[in-house]
Amino acid sequence: MENIIAAIGEIATFQTIALMIIGAVAGLIAGAIPGFTIAMAIVLTLPFTFSMSASQGVATMIGVFVGGLSGGLMSGILIGIPGTPSSVATTFDGFPLARGGEPGYALGLGVWSSFFGGVISAILLIAVAPQLARIGLEFQPWDYFMLVFFALTITASLAGDSLIKGLIAGGIGLVIATVGEEDINGVSRFDFGSDYLSEGFAFLPVLIGLFAFSQLMSDVRDPNSARQSLTHMGNVNIRIEHRKAVTAVLRRWGNLLRSSFIGVFTGILPAAGSTISNILAYDQAKKASKTPEKFGTGYEDGIVAPEAANNATAGGSLITMMALGIPGDIITAVMLGALLIHDVVPSPSFIGESPVLAYSIFVAFFFANFLVLGLQSVALRLFVLVTKVRMYVLAAIILAYCGIGVFALNNIVNDMWTLFIFGIVGYAMRSLGFPLAPIILGVVLGPIAEKWLARALAISTDPTLFFTHPWSLFFVILSVFSMGFGLYQRDRGKKGWTLFYSPLLALGLSVPMFMMGGIIRPFIGAALICFGVYGLHRALKLKDNYPASA
Amino acid sequence: MVRLNRDIVVACVLLALCGIFWWSSLSIRDPGYGTLAPAAWPQAVLVVLTGLCIVWFAQVVVAAVRAGPQVGGGEGADKLDAIGFLREYRNPILCFIVYFVFLLVLPLVGALAGGIALVFVLLSILGGWAPRQLALHAAIAVLSMGAMWSLFTYGLRVILPEGILF
Repeated sequence: MENIIAAIGEIATFQTIALMIIGAVAGLIAGAIPGFTIAMAIVLTLPFTFSMSASQGVATMIGVFVGGLSGGLMSGILIGIPGTPSSVATTFDGFPLARGGEPGYALGLGVWSSFFGGVISAILLIAVAPQLARIGLEFQPWDYFMLVFFALTITASLAGDSLIKGLIAGGIGLVIATVGEEDINGVSRFDFGSDYLSEGFAFLPVLIGLFAFSQLMSDVRDPNSARQSLTHMGNVNIRIEHRKAVTAVLRRWGNLLRSSFIGVFTGILPAAGSTISNILAYDQAKKASKTPEKFGTGYEDGIVAPEAANNATAGGSLITMMALGIPGDIITAVMLGALLIHDVVPSPSFIGESPVLAYSIFVAFFFANFLVLGLQSVALRLFVLVTKVRMYVLAAIILAYCGIGVFALNNIVNDMWTLFIFGIVGYAMRSLGFPLAPIILGVVLGPIAEKWLARALAISTDPTLFFTHPWSLFFVILSVFSMGFGLYQRDRGKKGWTLFYSPLLALGLSVPMFMMGGIIRPFIGAALICFGVYGLHRALKLKDNYPASA
Repeated sequence: MVRLNRDIVVACVLLALCGIFWWSSLSIRDPGYGTLAPAAWPQAVLVVLTGLCIVWFAQVVVAAVRAGPQVGGGEGADKLDAIGFLREYRNPILCFIVYFVFLLVLPLVGALAGGIALVFVLLSILGGWAPRQLALHAAIAVLSMGAMWSLFTYGLRVILPEGILF
């Protein structure tokens, strides 16, 4: 409790609240503009956080994060184009309701659903993350290494359509991270005789170059669309109908709770995220509804579900980052990078070692939902103004800002060259169909993995320890299944082998659970065995329904 | 015969880079203390990356063979056409060139003047060179860079690069 009070004291200062307000407004606007992602908004916020304390910096970025998630609903509801992929499902009912003459009500439903989804996930974050982090105190170097290795295998899930390209991108990220002086022995690697390379690449210029620079180049590639306004909205004068909307949302409390839990759970899963959760929640709301035929026609439940879910996902992804120190998606990878800049290394022992900072992040996330709720009306007016700006104007200014922003990191012009080089690399990879998120994860996680591997091997060179330590074995099994997750997603419902995926995972995970000892964990292990055996029995019965080639 | 397509070229470039990095990893100094040699981790990563690149190379070659000699095959089967490429990627290429020049002249002109020039040239390349537009672009460049420079210099107390001339 004293940690929460200390964290509130840290966050509830005029300066931090002001920074969060600026961040939330920036996030709301960036989230509302189609083509601008939340990740890009957070990446561009990073340079401003250098001069702040760690808690202020992360609080500002959380403002951008929550604002971005909520901002996507504005363009989705008003013009039918989702501002971010996390609000795709919102347009299914939001746009028809707005076109049906109730844009203020539709916006209100989205705003209040986002708020409640965010608050529910914030409460779960505060309740679950510290409990989960206690487990981290049991971790030894072998367990840490396998945990990071597991996070690296997530790249397979982040790969999207092209599994092999995603894995290659992750590998490239790992190689980029090895350039320059290594942390353990101080030996220079891959410098090719160049002083510039011997210093290695700073994380931020690489990140901004890969993500923001290359995104801007993609935005201006087509000369015609680059010269058009961001969206076509005309003059809009809308008042958000708060009272009617909040009553409607609370009346749908079942949908709200279910969607929020879906959001949190999806966020906890590495590599899932709000892009998936909003569609999943919409689908579940439709299936659970007594009037599924109304979905898609401007039905309230169709706005409540995706908006509650996408904001709740933020809390879920923060649980994974805070409790285990692994970023599940690009946004938490950036936040992790921001903490690293402030010499804070999130790990399973992070909450125990830096409780005030950890709880400051929880509290900031909780506050951010209230701020965003209050700022929606202001942001709506600003959004209408911003939509009149042409893309090329925004791109040119942001490109200049990127350069100045990365210079501010270490006051070194070389960082601007790094930005430029990785801008080209990022744009080339983007154009060639390589996903960029795995590269970022590789860059962030590579040095951490190497550090823990070195520590593990310094204690003992026996490789079997990676399989005999329960937590290490737990993550070995998760890693194996994580690497096959892309294939599982591709073949699910089409090939018989996918029926065995979950039961085998459950059976596999039961082994380390029994090895951990105690009372609760073997009990969980027994439950996993029951689930696994039942799943196998069911899979054997159902597999004949699939084609013989499976 | 397999027609060279974009993916095959990229896979070859990646394999060549893996080779160069492997060769460079052989000359990483080993101080002899600690169990994990400085070259071990990068070499492990390179082995995995090379394996993945070989798999991808095989995949794209097989796809190209299956698609036949005329079409190439796969998503990256576009014909390597320099003029078409330059036309399609005109804006990004020009932006990269302008940014490169900006970085080259930065020690000479400094962040403020260089930044204003950068924004102005980028705006004009992307937006057009009509006289009215030029005036608008100049105003946007001065205001945006002026605001940014002031924010970093006075707000965040970052001393931005100063040039020999300005």
